[in-house]
Amino acid sequence: MNQYANESIISSKTESEVNVIESNQVEKAKNNDQTQNDTDEYAAGNNLVNYAIYDELPYLYWLYSIDGFGRKTILVLETLLGSAKTIYHLPENDLKWLLNERQLRDFTGSRKRWDISGEYQKLKEKGIRFYPYAHPDYPATLRKIPDPPAAIYVRGRLPDPARRTVAVIGTRKCSGYGSTMAGQLGKALAQAQIQVVSGMARGIDGIGQRAVVEAGGRTFAVLGCGVDVSYPPENRRLYDRIMERGGILSEYTPGTMPKAQLFPPRNRLISGLSEAVIVVEAREKSGTMITVDMALEQGKDVYAIPGRLVDGLSGGCNRLIKQGAGVILSAEEFIWELGIQPHPDPAAADMAAELRKPENTEKLSPEERKVDGFLDYNPQSLSYFAACCPEIPLCRLTRILISLCLHDRAEQIGAGFYCRKS
Amino acid sequence: MFATVTSGAILGIQSYQVQVEVNASGGLPCFSMVGYLAGEVREAGERVRVALRNTGISMPPLHITVNLSPAHIRKEGTAFDLPIAVGVLIAMGELPEKSAGDMLIIGELGLDGAVKRVNGILPIVLAAAKRGCRRFLVPAVNAREAAAIPQADVCGVSSLQEVLLYLTADETERQHIFPYLKPDSSRSDKINEVPVPGNRQEEIDFAEIIGQESAKRAAIIATAGFHHLLLIGPPGTGKTMIAKRIPTILPPLTPEESLEVSSIYSIAGQLPSVPALLTGRPFLNPHYTVTEQALAGGGKLPMPGLVSLAHRGVLFMDELPECRQSVIEILRQPIEDKKVNIARVQGSFTYPADFLFIGAMNPCPCGYFPDQEKCGCSRRTIHRYLSRISGPILDRIDLCAEVMRMEAECLQAGRPGLSSREMRQRVEAARQIQADRFRGTAYSFNSDIRLKDMQQYCSLGKKETAMMRKVLEKMDVSARAYHRILKVARTIADLEESQDIKEEHLLEAVYYRMNDGKYWR
Repeated sequence: MNQYANESIISSKTESEVNVIESNQVEKAKNNDQTQNDTDEYAAGNNLVNYAIYDELPYLYWLYSIDGFGRKTILVLETLLGSAKTIYHLPENDLKWLLNERQLRDFTGSRKRWDISGEYQKLKEKGIRFYPYAHPDYPATLRKIPDPPAAIYVRGRLPDPARRTVAVIGTRKCSGYGSTMAGQLGKALAQAQIQVVSGMARGIDGIGQRAVVEAGGRTFAVLGCGVDVSYPPENRRLYDRIMERGGILSEYTPGTMPKAQLFPPRNRLISGLSEAVIVVEAREKSGTMITVDMALEQGKDVYAIPGRLVDGLSGGCNRLIKQGAGVILSAEEFIWELGIQPHPDPAAADMAAELRKPENTEKLSPEERKVDGFLDYNPQSLSYFAACCPEIPLCRLTRILISLCLHDRAEQIGAGFYCRKS
Repeated sequence: MFATVTSGAILGIQSYQVQVEVNASGGLPCFSMVGYLAGEVREAGERVRVALRNTGISMPPLHITVNLSPAHIRKEGTAFDLPIAVGVLIAMGELPEKSAGDMLIIGELGLDGAVKRVNGILPIVLAAAKRGCRRFLVPAVNAREAAAIPQADVCGVSSLQEVLLYLTADETERQHIFPYLKPDSSRSDKINEVPVPGNRQEEIDFAEIIGQESAKRAAIIATAGFHHLLLIGPPGTGKTMIAKRIPTILPPLTPEESLEVSSIYSIAGQLPSVPALLTGRPFLNPHYTVTEQALAGGGKLPMPGLVSLAHRGVLFMDELPECRQSVIEILRQPIEDKKVNIARVQGSFTYPADFLFIGAMNPCPCGYFPDQEKCGCSRRTIHRYLSRISGPILDRIDLCAEVMRMEAECLQAGRPGLSSREMRQRVEAARQIQADRFRGTAYSFNSDIRLKDMQQYCSLGKKETAMMRKVLEKMDVSARAYHRILKVARTIADLEESQDIKEEHLLEAVYYRMNDGKYWR
């Protein structure tokens, strides 16, 4: 019973804080670039900020980093004792009333080992920013979700609250179609100055974010591990570029290694940071659909890119559309729906039109044009093309396919598999 | 009394002459053997003594010393039993002094005096015949093998009794008792009908493979220009079937090649006694658990490994990424130099290893990539799987062909494809063009062309050069791969009897160069 009482105290306290901080956010949005300067410096110029929080940061960092301390325990401590600094300096005897034996052991052990200012300094040197819930820069959008993280760690910067933010998510093992669509979407959103949030995972997430970075847009990756751990390893370069162009975010203490159970909770942050979630490609039962559930719980808009009915990878998207999700037929139209740009000319807005590139086929020979017509975003084998064009002998078919590659029409995917180049 | 008998032995692939010197004198009776001998050679003394007694000759109490000269090379094997026995008999005075002169004797003895089979007869006889030796006394089981050398007068014996009979007889009687074997004159007619052990190629034909046209095309190009080939495809699509049929489209072994290959098999002890010479192309298909030693050749005095047994034939490695990395890396030298060097305490041994390498693998561990509906492999697993075949090996494989899963209706439609005969005709025509082109040079195939001669043999026109520049830019092709593509294009041009390498030849060569580019990274 006692615990529940505590929680209600907390929530009433935090709500009042939210109001103060939101007014800060508005002011801050005007001079956004300044936010990127050292927080301490920035805080000195802002009278509305509770200075005490900056003294608290090193202690909070310690408190949140104690192994074996769950969020509930921390909440109890914070509610009863107020500041992390007080908790840190509390004599062991007083803690006996609050913590069980194991927790006490973890607590005192950690207190002995931890160098409060040194560790926080190290964090700063690594370029990791630490935003506990009470911090004025803690993203306002996250305060509104049902289960906000106690603190978030950031490498790079936080999403700009003055800009529109959208999540682009999807399966890790995507088809050629999915990767093409994610790429197109990422590029278009970047050009419309929309910030893109995703999980930097393999497949759709990474492809979408890469497209944003390449188009010069801003993108933010929410990781299921510490912000200083680049996972998956093959996205190392992308990690660096996201850090330059946007930010890497995580609610987990730096150094936390990726674990399967850490990923579903981070999905709530991906949807929490965005106003809309776009599902590019997802199976009916998948991690992506967990994110969608969280987005719906948080009251966010969900959009899906339609796929073919036979395609299991689009099953989740089609199901969402059936359930009433927004349908994305073109990135421009979606951007218009957000109210950012005027309604696009329907002809120009056809997302697939550019990909079909009909104007380029003039250079092709009649046979090449015929094979080109059979190219698809899903890779097809040589025998498929041979069956489609039985009059073309096989050795000529191989030459045509390579020729199409040279004309930027086709692309080799696996041994003997070709798909349309995006 | 002193006696000397000529014999021979094998060191690596080379054969050398061994003089068996026997001295019998008075003194403390004993039988001692010297000359850097391995255990089994030392045991020869015991075998000789018992075999002589069981043939009816008792050894008088003499001090007998046997030396195998040259004494600085380690002797192994049991082939010295018979020459030692003959040497002892001469030294004892049982045989006339000159009876074994101008004759090479070789064979293992049983305790009952039987003369048994030994390995490596063919190269020993070949080398001795080149040195001028004409007469050979060999085990009857090996006689056919030795008789494959036309200059050799071969007498096959099956017991010590027969040896005594032969050596005591005069020249005319000898001819009468043991007529010399001559090379099998009917051999040339039977070419390609005699399979290498375990390889019954006469029963198989490419016509049995339905579809898979691109893999067949790649097989033709590979055999025509001697380009190594990698077959990629899901399990159960016929990669092994295709590889097994590649020897059927290779031209038959020439007599010189046959002698070369048979010599290696003789050393390895894998030559069938009848018929003596191999005429079919070897096809070796080691399991992927094969060890480095088995592949390259192993032993204190190394025996030829699989790469050498595949000399002038095909080495097929199925499930290539499942092989141990070190095993795959061993293939580097033979593929590049067409021989394999093995260093041992005894010295460095070189075996020929000029084989056509055919590898087979799945596109990913589960075999279904890039079909996302079926493939359960992550990008990373696929990458790890592919990267087990290292860059240097991939670089040396010029051709890469996909083997597709055939749909049921396709298999039932059963439109027969190209037959081995048709394919071989095309291969032979292309090889003839190459033979004419490379007459008087060190090359025999397009794949041999070295960088310095690329300009001469693989020059491109303006249009073709421009196209290749585009290929280099767009398709992520390395400089080394570029030259490989040109060589394959040369072979394709030869297959189509075109003097110049044209755009279409280059395009097709690029198609079969799948092992480059991003699929592998």
